[in-house]
Amino acid sequence: MGTTTSRRVTPGRAWAGVLLAACLGHTLVTYAAAGDSDRIAALEHKLDQSLQLIRQLSARVHDLEAQVAQAPPAAAKPTSPGAAAAAPATAAAAPPGTPAATQPGAAAATAPDTAQRLARVEQTVTEMAASAGQHAEDLGMPMHGFADVGVGNHNAEFHQYQGADVGELDFFLTPRLGSRTRALFELNFEVGSDGAVGVDLERAQIGYQFSDSATVWLGRFHTPYGYYNTAFHHGQQIATSLRRPRFIEFEDHGGIMPAHTVGAWLTGSQRVGDDKVTYDVFIGNSQRIQGGILDMNNAGNTHGSTIVGGNLGMLMSGALDGLKVGVDVFQTRILDEDAPSPAPATRVRSYGVYAAYDTDAWEDIAEFHVFDNDDLTGHTGTHRSDAGFVQMGYRAGRYTPYARYERGAFQQSDHFFAAQINGESYYRTALGLRFDVDLVSSLKLELADTHLTDRVTGSYDEALLQYAIRF
Amino acid sequence: MQTGHRGSFDTHCRRWRRPRKRLRSAGSLLVALQLLIAALPGVWPTRVWASAPQLAGLPAAWRDDRGQPFDLRTMRGHAVVLTMAYATCHRVCPVTMRRLQQMQREFDRRGTSAEFLVIGYDPDHDDAQAWRQYRETRHLMRDNWHFLIGTRTAVEQTARQLGFEFWKYDEHVMHDTRILYFDERGRLVETRQAAGYETTPR
Repeated sequence: MGTTTSRRVTPGRAWAGVLLAACLGHTLVTYAAAGDSDRIAALEHKLDQSLQLIRQLSARVHDLEAQVAQAPPAAAKPTSPGAAAAAPATAAAAPPGTPAATQPGAAAATAPDTAQRLARVEQTVTEMAASAGQHAEDLGMPMHGFADVGVGNHNAEFHQYQGADVGELDFFLTPRLGSRTRALFELNFEVGSDGAVGVDLERAQIGYQFSDSATVWLGRFHTPYGYYNTAFHHGQQIATSLRRPRFIEFEDHGGIMPAHTVGAWLTGSQRVGDDKVTYDVFIGNSQRIQGGILDMNNAGNTHGSTIVGGNLGMLMSGALDGLKVGVDVFQTRILDEDAPSPAPATRVRSYGVYAAYDTDAWEDIAEFHVFDNDDLTGHTGTHRSDAGFVQMGYRAGRYTPYARYERGAFQQSDHFFAAQINGESYYRTALGLRFDVDLVSSLKLELADTHLTDRVTGSYDEALLQYAIRF
Repeated sequence: MQTGHRGSFDTHCRRWRRPRKRLRSAGSLLVALQLLIAALPGVWPTRVWASAPQLAGLPAAWRDDRGQPFDLRTMRGHAVVLTMAYATCHRVCPVTMRRLQQMQREFDRRGTSAEFLVIGYDPDHDDAQAWRQYRETRHLMRDNWHFLIGTRTAVEQTARQLGFEFWKYDEHVMHDTRILYFDERGRLVETRQAAGYETTPR
């Protein structure tokens, strides 16, 4: 009991003491603050005056430099032609008494070495400021990405489903590593063919930029064939259309081409006159077929075979500004690991040609690939298949209507296509409309008609709506 | 067994009563401290207003679309309209450019003048020739329009100072339609978004 009583009394006393102290403190502090407020006001006033003085001095330095730069003996600092004419106007525009109104003769009398010293000091200050800002920026890595959801009488990627669907949540990470070292990671949460959400490191590449015309990447990247696969990535908000052409979809979404490669990639561009030549050369693990889907062998493969390829493009100028044309080729050796051992192997050789006309009004893309495949184990010989698409879009403010025709004619006697779930021949026509809700989100509506023409014969119509954002 | 458990639990609680009591006293002290701190008018840091961006505070050395050096300091004495863009942008930048042209027409109608600066987001891809081509195809050839190329550091520093938020997604640059207006003394006096035509006095 005694203990209990003590417990009750002690806190009471403590609280009383605390309240008393608080009241006392508040009274004292309020009294002191009343005296301080005048002092603080005076200090603020002095600070304002100091800032004003700093601004005036900065302006003075700039004016002196500008005037010295105009003087013939000290014309070391180049200016734009337009700006050269602007400097006298500066003085004219400045109110009397301001540094800018200083007579040019006075500036001419300034010694060149003084101007140089001023320039050096200013350069140093600028560099220090930039450096400080840089360090502050480097403290964190910004998180950006894309997401999309949809609804339709079919799922845009897996047509066996219908209703509402979650597309993907794509995180894009580009840590800053230095002036020449590059890194790029794309972590994608997406719904697979089984309806479950999976996580995929879609791209993980680390590179070094030797110059503007040469960057080498190592890791997992989008295989640089054709135009679409490297112009558009997983962020659907960027693309005009609601989805990629079916045959160049990503592997786990029904694509029949190796959209990803794990290996090395040299890429760059170089001016040739007013035009620009772009190039890509790559080598990596050859892919395999597993579960009826192409797999890019992230961990390497067991037989050491490779995919090798290249892409050469040209960006036109002048009247053809916005037009890019190019050719590409790759060769790989694909094992079908679903088949009984020994796994059938196919040498896949693809030749591509593409053209893209991308202006403020038009976005037109055409891409065509020929596959010249060799059965390396089944003795069925050589098979030739092809696939291509043409897409036209017109940007009319926030609306972009588009149309696309695509087709894939795949030899079913070719094990490479026969072993893939989506390796059947097809053609699809689509009409769509993209509406930019704002700068970061868009609504897309697509009506499509797909015909399957060999493995199974049939067709289905789709009405799809997608809401895509970036952040 | 249950009783035994309860008993041991009680014992356990009792064991912890004293420290709790001490903690309560410490808590009281903390509350008191908080009260004192709250009562002090001068304890909270004075809100420091970041100084408004000024042209004079930006990196000075740029190149224009003719490949010539361009000194930003020579803009002093001129009203300046400034934005950032990239040459292969076909969805957002055209909106900004149309807005700039609209502003230019408005200045012409009023008989006032301004220098228009367009700073490239992506110096890796947008060189002088790219901007030259951009100007020619879009008929943006007036002498008071300057398309500027800087180092990546200068571009990032400028964007940071002026509040242009951007990030790169491969060859795409994610950005907005911000337009800034500086007066003849190089002070920022107005910020606009070309897309929504909102105007925000500084």
